[in-house]
Amino acid sequence: MKTNQKKAWLFLAPTIIFVTFFSIYPILRAFVMSFQSGSLINLSWSGLSNYQYLFKDPEFWLAIKNTALYALISVPIGLAISILLAWIIFSKVKHKSFFETTFFMPYVTSTIAIGIVFRYIFNGDYGLLNFVLRCLHLPAPIWIDDPSMSLTTIIIFGIWTSLAFNIVILMGALRNIDPNFYTVADMYGASGAEKFWRITMPELIPTLAFLLTMNIIGAFKVYTSVYALFNGQAGVGNSGTTAVFYIYNKFQIVGTPGVAMAATVVLFLIILFITFLQRKMMKKIGEN
Amino acid sequence: MKFGKKLAITAIAGLALMGTAACSKGGNSSSSSEKIPSKVTKKTNVVFWHGMTGVQQSTLQTLTKEFEKKNPKISVKLENQGAYNDLQAKINSTLQSPNNLPTITQAYPGWLWNAAQNKMLVDLKPYINNKDVGWGSAKNSDIRTELLDGAKIKGTQYGIPFNKSIETLTYNADMFKKYGIKKAPTTMQELKQDSETIYKKSNHKVVGAGFDSLSNYYVLGMKNQGTDFSNKINFTGPQSKKLINYYADGVKKGYFRVAGSEHYLSGPFANQKVAMFIGTSAGEGFVKQGVGKKFTYDEAPRPGKYTMQQGTDIYMFKHASANQKAAAFKYIKFLVSKSSQLKWANATGYIPVNEGVVKSSAYKSNKNLKLPAKLESAMKYLYSVPVAKNSNAAYQQLNPVMQTILSAAQKKQNVNNAIKAGKSKFDAAWKQ
Repeated sequence: MKTNQKKAWLFLAPTIIFVTFFSIYPILRAFVMSFQSGSLINLSWSGLSNYQYLFKDPEFWLAIKNTALYALISVPIGLAISILLAWIIFSKVKHKSFFETTFFMPYVTSTIAIGIVFRYIFNGDYGLLNFVLRCLHLPAPIWIDDPSMSLTTIIIFGIWTSLAFNIVILMGALRNIDPNFYTVADMYGASGAEKFWRITMPELIPTLAFLLTMNIIGAFKVYTSVYALFNGQAGVGNSGTTAVFYIYNKFQIVGTPGVAMAATVVLFLIILFITFLQRKMMKKIGEN
Repeated sequence: MKFGKKLAITAIAGLALMGTAACSKGGNSSSSSEKIPSKVTKKTNVVFWHGMTGVQQSTLQTLTKEFEKKNPKISVKLENQGAYNDLQAKINSTLQSPNNLPTITQAYPGWLWNAAQNKMLVDLKPYINNKDVGWGSAKNSDIRTELLDGAKIKGTQYGIPFNKSIETLTYNADMFKKYGIKKAPTTMQELKQDSETIYKKSNHKVVGAGFDSLSNYYVLGMKNQGTDFSNKINFTGPQSKKLINYYADGVKKGYFRVAGSEHYLSGPFANQKVAMFIGTSAGEGFVKQGVGKKFTYDEAPRPGKYTMQQGTDIYMFKHASANQKAAAFKYIKFLVSKSSQLKWANATGYIPVNEGVVKSSAYKSNKNLKLPAKLESAMKYLYSVPVAKNSNAAYQQLNPVMQTILSAAQKKQNVNNAIKAGKSKFDAAWKQ
């Protein structure tokens, strides 16, 4: 049996202390606070009342529904488009680095800034998107100011913003595939589709697993893009409210930190569960 | 096994450390019955948190410099905390460590409900009644009584009104002439009629009217029917439904509209897409800028009896030293003095809190803005959101609730379901 070296603890100490203080302690504190009520300066034990309030609050369910839909729709679509684009850039396009840089640009730009630009693009009256749609004689929905469109708008924006990071990571993964695989495949006369499904995709699985995990977790924590798109509100009539939006609002604005922390715990459990499921699923796919 | 044991030890060590950190709290909280110094003789710093931007901020800076010149011993540090929401969030999270709070802050009374419950605010009555730092009595201050009352939490005078505004009606005077409307509407009935006329005569090109703040629309609409804003309001009751349907019908038929994600109707108003709107008087600067020379606009009292008095007051936190408190109050007294309020109101469009300034010719003859000449008649009946537990949350919840209802109306759907859903959200906001 291998034993850890004692000295290792010394080297790990800074990280352990840091993680304990800034990651583990907040989680524990959030958990404790979820059983307390009152304002931050005057917390008192209240048992499960926060959870009771939470599960009865229609706004909370809307937030969870929106967040789940956002994650389940925007992540797979975003990932699929990223694979497609990365594959095209990788295999069909000259001046790869130029396109790679172009696609990476949105990632280094602030989401708030992009969101403000998109607010104008999406504007129902004078937006660029509706101008194009009208030119093509397509229906031009009211993207921003119609509560039933809020989630769609957030999803479109979410897909667009996720592309940058995904493409760059996938490009790196594509470069790491041994070119000999393709040479051999060519020798045996494999078609383009066969090469993609038999070589490229299986080789990308570890990277995709990583991206899927990161994207799903990111999607469950969506906040900034909603804030920027709807001018500081969660959409007209709070129709685009998300879990994090709900938490922030309850904590900072309404002043009921207990409810906010109960929502945090619920969100934490949901993310934990989904990440767990996902790892299981990816393992299965990896084995096949 | 071994690893688990070590992890446990580390965790315990970590927790112990946290315990020590937590114990280092506390400190020099001062007693409530301290004497108010008659003069500030030592060099004293006052920190003031605010949420003012643009011309509001620059005017505040000018006034502060003027104050510091007059009181060389006192220096006032202005700290901008962003928009009101950010300021509220900052205060909320700093209440935990009182020593990091400023001496004074701008705030709505509803934000400080918890702080008042926990005795973290200074009761300003002794300061008002003090002859040296204050005015000797509330009456001497010449501040309008409703405004002073609006800065009370549970009957205690914790705040002094500072940057106050009311809701007014802004209208396109040229358009009124064009469509034969002789005077600005004074009742909700007239508002509806005029809006319908404009919408019809403009061939559905121009919307008649809209309300910037849907929360205010609801609260004042209920007040005008004799119901105060409280958790006893039945959102699906006949009074409430009548009020909601008044707006929803207008939106359905096209003669009313909402601001939506733009938050303010001053933009569509400047682009002549809406003929009039009800919004804050502090927005006149923006209206003026947007309208430019395209047409003549004018201001009128808000239709209906009551108007909302809104905007923040200045509150003082308890942790400061006696000297700081006295200095801060001197500063507040300076800000609401006649000369300061005249400068402040003329530059920003906020209303003077001072009775004397409202009536003064120096204010009324301000050619720069339209409001001053109309203000006296516009603020006959003031109302503010009563300060109670969760009233602020319920008031804020009204906005999204009304937005949902009115966007159902916009799509010509039946609004009853939306009203029902609104009731559960409204009631939930009161009950947290």
